[in-house]
Amino acid sequence: MATEFEIDSQTDEMLETTMELGIADVEGLSEKPKTFGQLARERFFGHKLAIVGGIGLILLVALFWLGPMLSEWEFDERNVADRLLGPSAEHWFGTDEIGRDLFVRTAKGGLYSMRIGLIAAVVATVTGTAFGALAGFFGGVWDGIVSNLVNLVLTVPAIIVLSVFANKFGASAIGLALVLAGLLWTRIARVVRGVVLSIKEQEYIMAARAAGASNSRIMFRHLLPNIVGAIAVEVTLLIGTVIVLESTLSFLGLGVKPPNASLGTLVADAKGDIDSDPIRVLTPGIFIILIVLCVNFLGDGLRDALDPRAKGSDSSEAKNAKKAAKKARKQLGKQGPGYIAGARTDRSSIGKI
Amino acid sequence: MCVTVSQNLVLVYTSTDRSVATLFAYVTRRVLISVPLLVIAMYLVHVGVSATVDPRSDFYLCLPRCQEGFDSITETYALDTNIFLRPFTYFASLFSGDGLGFSSSVGEPVGEVMRTRGWNTAMVAIPAFLLGAILSLLLSVYSARRQYSFGDYFFTSLSFIGFAMPSFVLALIIQVIFGVKLEEWFGIKPFNTGRKTGENFWELLRDITLPAVSLAILGIAADSRFGRSSMLETLNQDYIRTARAKGLTERTVVWKHALRNGLIPLVTLWALGFSALLSGSVVTESIFSWPGIGQTFLRALGDSDLDLLMAIVMFTGVLTVVFNLIADVLYGVLDPRIRLG
Repeated sequence: MATEFEIDSQTDEMLETTMELGIADVEGLSEKPKTFGQLARERFFGHKLAIVGGIGLILLVALFWLGPMLSEWEFDERNVADRLLGPSAEHWFGTDEIGRDLFVRTAKGGLYSMRIGLIAAVVATVTGTAFGALAGFFGGVWDGIVSNLVNLVLTVPAIIVLSVFANKFGASAIGLALVLAGLLWTRIARVVRGVVLSIKEQEYIMAARAAGASNSRIMFRHLLPNIVGAIAVEVTLLIGTVIVLESTLSFLGLGVKPPNASLGTLVADAKGDIDSDPIRVLTPGIFIILIVLCVNFLGDGLRDALDPRAKGSDSSEAKNAKKAAKKARKQLGKQGPGYIAGARTDRSSIGKI
Repeated sequence: MCVTVSQNLVLVYTSTDRSVATLFAYVTRRVLISVPLLVIAMYLVHVGVSATVDPRSDFYLCLPRCQEGFDSITETYALDTNIFLRPFTYFASLFSGDGLGFSSSVGEPVGEVMRTRGWNTAMVAIPAFLLGAILSLLLSVYSARRQYSFGDYFFTSLSFIGFAMPSFVLALIIQVIFGVKLEEWFGIKPFNTGRKTGENFWELLRDITLPAVSLAILGIAADSRFGRSSMLETLNQDYIRTARAKGLTERTVVWKHALRNGLIPLVTLWALGFSALLSGSVVTESIFSWPGIGQTFLRALGDSDLDLLMAIVMFTGVLTVVFNLIADVLYGVLDPRIRLG
């Protein structure tokens, strides 16, 4: 509940900050300080790999989504006369052992894998965030319960328990995603717990509390915005983990079951003929790698962009400085042997730039 | 793989109050915490496994005729008791004469199966671990010393790809190239494509190489990135500059002064990775038809072999806990700033 007093204190706070900004302007800081969001956006778009990952992911989704619409084949259409064909204009990725078009199957399978990854990552994140925030915010008994729960899940051998449960519930995308999420929420819970622990002792939380804000208001208005960055990074990286795990389980025949197909089952279907026809194994395999690579690049970019300690888009600057230093060293080297020694001892400081 | 390094460690700057006694107290306390945790985990896993795996599934169709077999299985696994009480029957039988029970899928006592299969897994896991540890160490030192060089970029890209690559794709590719295509292209067959023949040492080595290498590569991809950033951080510290200023050779600075600190995070990663390797890799072992724990697990799952499944779960659970403890202790021993608390 927002009391009048609190609103007052907030407006006061805003007034103060604007005043400070004004003073800074007067004192000759010509550049307007950027907000965290602006800085983050700048850093993210300066992160080449993240852009590559983002665009790659969009392209992959578009290919998987639109590709089957352009193709004349159906996902489950059998045509035994055309079995085990190589890639051609008609069947872009060839056909499988009962004559189904592999491009359509790969696209559908890729979409299915991505869907499972997304559902599992979101469920794991919501669960993990809730548990982590609970443990970090209330501490005491809650912290004990959650920490021991996390330790319990970590004691259980992941791939084995996953196999047992995925074998039972893997037939539906939701079931498989829930099984995966049930084991993967622990990391996020820990990250969130740590962040909440460090934030909740800060002055602005104390100020909010003094102003009479309720626990839920502090949590959702003051804590959540500060952990969104950490969560976004974890979600992205988790999607990659889930896709690898899901495809592994499906490869073993424990995850996705026919008539559905995922990239893992496509590899499993083709692995018998890998000696004579390696392309059928490689195409779904490469798509798994591409998806996970893009997701990981995106996650890395987000991590760099949302790291509150980072300043500016420094990664490229640091690299440029390094290049300049290297060039300088080379030139020094050309000038004579005396300078080379100097350049060599200087290496440690170059590492620091 | 989850890194559970710092959760039980308290970062305190102390002078010299790490002694054998504190270490012993710490280990004892951790073991005392781990045992009940492990028991609870095993209880939950047993409930979960018996809820999802049904050893009688083959019998339902022939039921009136094969009532006898049906009943004997019911009795063996105490399937007529409540599912939440069943783990207690299992734990009780562990301590009675039965031991770990009898494996229906392999046809041997579970203890015997675990021993032979565990040994097979270790035969692949230990070389894979050593290879992975040495290469990831060398790669992280190389990449850290030559940051932003061509080699650094090259290995970084490789490790990104390795990190994104599912183990089955890697194992299949390695199997096809080195096991099959080499023979097709050049008429030589340096490695076997799996299956333990084990007639003599050299045959065994040819069997082990490919699975061990594919397991090692997976570890290297993750560890070398981690080691690189850790080494980079160490190499930028002031004491390294001091060492250089003293006129020590580059070799001493890197391999003696920097490595000692840069290695610490890697050591804990290795401990955890080694436990994962020792518990058997389900995918790699099944692709290379290697009769280890992982492959046995798949078979037990397919045949609803409850006793063997539980034994494998317990084995891997204990390994995870023990190696987590080793990782934490090593971390504390190697880094004097960290006090085990």
